[in-house]
Amino acid sequence: MIEKGKISAAQMALMMHPTIIATGILFVPSISAAKAGRDMWLSPIWGSFIGFLVVFIAYQLHKHFPNETIIEYSEHIVGRIPGKVIGLIYLLFYLHVNGIIIREYGEFLSGVFLMTTPESVIFGSMTLVCAFAVRGGLEVIARSAQLFIPIVVLLFLLIVFFLALDLAPTNMLPVFEEGITPSILGAAAPAAWFSEFLLIAFLLPYLTDKEKGLKWANLSVLSVVFILVITNVTALFLFGEITADLLYPVMSAGRYVRVAEFFTHLESIIMAIWILGTFIKISVFYYALVLGTAQWLKLSEYKFIVLPLGFLLVLFATWSAPNLTELKGFLGTSAVFYLLSVQLVLPSILLLIVVIQKKVIQKRSIQA
Amino acid sequence: MFRKRRKIKKLEQLIAEKELKQPQESVQQAPRSQGSLSGDLNENVNALRSIYDNCSDFIIRPFLIEGKEKATLLYIDGLSNIEEINANVLTPLMEIPKGQQSYELTEQEVHNLASILEKKISVSQVKEVHTYMDITNQISLGKPVILINQSVKGFSVDLGKWAKRAIEEPSAESVIRGPREGFIESIGVNIALIRRKIRSPKLKMEELEVGRITKTTIVLAYIVGLAEQTLIDEAKSRLRRIDIDGVLESEYIEELIEDNPSSPFPQILNTERVDVVASYLLEGHVAIFVDGSPFVLIAPTTLYSLFQASEDYYQRPLLSTAIRWLRYLFIVISLLLPSLYVAVLTYHHEMLPTTLLISMAASREPIPFPAVIEALLMEIMFEILREAGIRLPKQIGAAVSIVGALVIGQAAVEAGIVSAPMVMVVAVTGIASFSVPRYNAGMALRMLRFPMLILAGMLGLLGIMLGIIAIVVHLCTLRSFGVPYLSPMAPMQGQDMKDVMMRLPRWAHRSRPHLTGN
Repeated sequence: MIEKGKISAAQMALMMHPTIIATGILFVPSISAAKAGRDMWLSPIWGSFIGFLVVFIAYQLHKHFPNETIIEYSEHIVGRIPGKVIGLIYLLFYLHVNGIIIREYGEFLSGVFLMTTPESVIFGSMTLVCAFAVRGGLEVIARSAQLFIPIVVLLFLLIVFFLALDLAPTNMLPVFEEGITPSILGAAAPAAWFSEFLLIAFLLPYLTDKEKGLKWANLSVLSVVFILVITNVTALFLFGEITADLLYPVMSAGRYVRVAEFFTHLESIIMAIWILGTFIKISVFYYALVLGTAQWLKLSEYKFIVLPLGFLLVLFATWSAPNLTELKGFLGTSAVFYLLSVQLVLPSILLLIVVIQKKVIQKRSIQA
Repeated sequence: MFRKRRKIKKLEQLIAEKELKQPQESVQQAPRSQGSLSGDLNENVNALRSIYDNCSDFIIRPFLIEGKEKATLLYIDGLSNIEEINANVLTPLMEIPKGQQSYELTEQEVHNLASILEKKISVSQVKEVHTYMDITNQISLGKPVILINQSVKGFSVDLGKWAKRAIEEPSAESVIRGPREGFIESIGVNIALIRRKIRSPKLKMEELEVGRITKTTIVLAYIVGLAEQTLIDEAKSRLRRIDIDGVLESEYIEELIEDNPSSPFPQILNTERVDVVASYLLEGHVAIFVDGSPFVLIAPTTLYSLFQASEDYYQRPLLSTAIRWLRYLFIVISLLLPSLYVAVLTYHHEMLPTTLLISMAASREPIPFPAVIEALLMEIMFEILREAGIRLPKQIGAAVSIVGALVIGQAAVEAGIVSAPMVMVVAVTGIASFSVPRYNAGMALRMLRFPMLILAGMLGLLGIMLGIIAIVVHLCTLRSFGVPYLSPMAPMQGQDMKDVMMRLPRWAHRSRPHLTGN
């Protein structure tokens, strides 16, 4: 195996949590508010079904090929050439998606904090730091997640707690004004985010306690649902229906925080802790890309392709969209189909083929 | 291609180095020094004389055993206890017994080492030597060697004695409550100090010799059953692989056996305190004693053990926990305070309450530099004073600190070169960095402050966060003898967390901490 490190199932869950949340809490509230309106708090729960489904598919595939990642077993499932093609699809997909993630990160920072800093500096510095972590391997990313994520989640909940006085629960009334459909429509964006759980297909082979893999992956989905619901509820209670018009509702919420007349304007703090989560998110995607590329090219080591791929990531970040408005439009519409088709439909086809193959082999062996 | 060429170059270098080394070796040891003793005393003595050519401190003393047999005593002046040699070796051997006594040697026994030892030498530790190499080793340890005519063996008697420092309280790790003895430069004394704390024979001490020329004694200590066998083997193999001319301090060894020598963070703990070494041995670590150095190495080490003081364990648990938290806060301050100050002043004014912002802006008004430059200036000034304070003789040190305080403090502020808040920030940071119990860990944090300052000046809070992430990622990649540097926090080991975030009372420590490679 190329990756020699091992992680525990709990570490995997901790890594996957920010992998969904980091950009999720930035964009999901306003995107789902646009469709779901006052019922936006329900959307992440509908979306989470996709998450559980993807985890289930990835885990079933993992059970058939316990020591391989999706890049490797797709070759075993559909044959060498088609398998290589599927592998390439995944690699290009992760390259593109990670480019988009870096872009989201950069747009957020340059839009809110560093208005005059060139975007390439913002992209490049983050990618460089992530490259350090990816070079260190899976264990390093897992350990840094273990250190950072509890802090990120605690501080996030603390900020929500400090906002408690400004919250107006009446904003969510009337519930289900137009039936349940708007909240399901609003679930499209969260569903796309939840489908990113397919990344566990790259992590499951390296678990020390594989039997706990499914449990912890599901717990991770649950924790993401929890945070996303809290985010949406907070945004809804605080801003009501104008949430849809805000660029970054959570950031705007941070401006409301006042503690002891000293801690005011906490948006910089929010930015700081949010960077920790984004770092894990970009690193996990980056790692999947690097590991996948090495496996696709049958390399013996992945360290030396980290920096070249990082350079490509910065390029894709620059190319992925002309501006923020179009990026957000893309995330709310076609990205949903894009993400779901690669991260949900393609693996389910793979799983279907495996199951049918196994059945056929079983039948044959019975006949023989 | 390129890589291959580099490899070939490396090979060539290696060969060239070897060629360089070979003649040195032949100079270092006369060709005969490898050989074993011959039966002829004169030949043996002449050979040793040629090995110790031009060594005025090498002493050869021929004598007769009971007036019957020729023998020679060899030692190095100043390393051996001459009175004891006279009283317990020379006198009984040379004495010609009057009349029949039970201690008299027969004609055959004179050639028999064993009976000489049994009847004549009143020294507890005696060792047989067979080769010239043995002899030079023993003599250089201060143990006189006796050679006897017609014998292919000699023996060394343990009568070494040289000037030693008294056992004192280590100045860098003083405590209010707790044992006050510290190690000294003599390895024998140091080992005895540990043995007095841990009396079980399960405490093992393995001796090795390192250094082609200095031939320094190194002792690897561990407790069987507590230390993992893999750890002991790894430590031994790393020590055996050392090939160096001289070892003058345990730092030499530390640098050579560390996992990642280019990291700013020390991956091996060093201490002068006996109780610290004993406690780590009891937790299953190994300790490495180096002769000539009062600093004992402890491996493996985690980041958290660098932030623990021995006093934590000698005060009440609740207070120790509070102090530990305070220390973690100081560590964050010593790394981040100046850069946070610069970031807030340069990029994030909105974080400060208005009144505070106004007073700060007023104090910064006459300053001609941007905040980063101001901070860098002051930090460098502080480091200069600190370094000068260590190196200077004590009498001048006071003068420097007075002048330094004036320069760094009042005069600089009054001259409008730095602002008063900046002086405060630098002072607090400096003091905070000294609260790290291990000097070398504090040093690492103090040096990392400078890149953090520059990052904060360039990118504000984002720069600080990127710096923190880079440092944490680096810490995550580190291992000390296979143990992750950040354990038990990452990877999390719930059981061992009891000694990281708090100092639980002793009765709550029900399980031994365990070091793992995962």
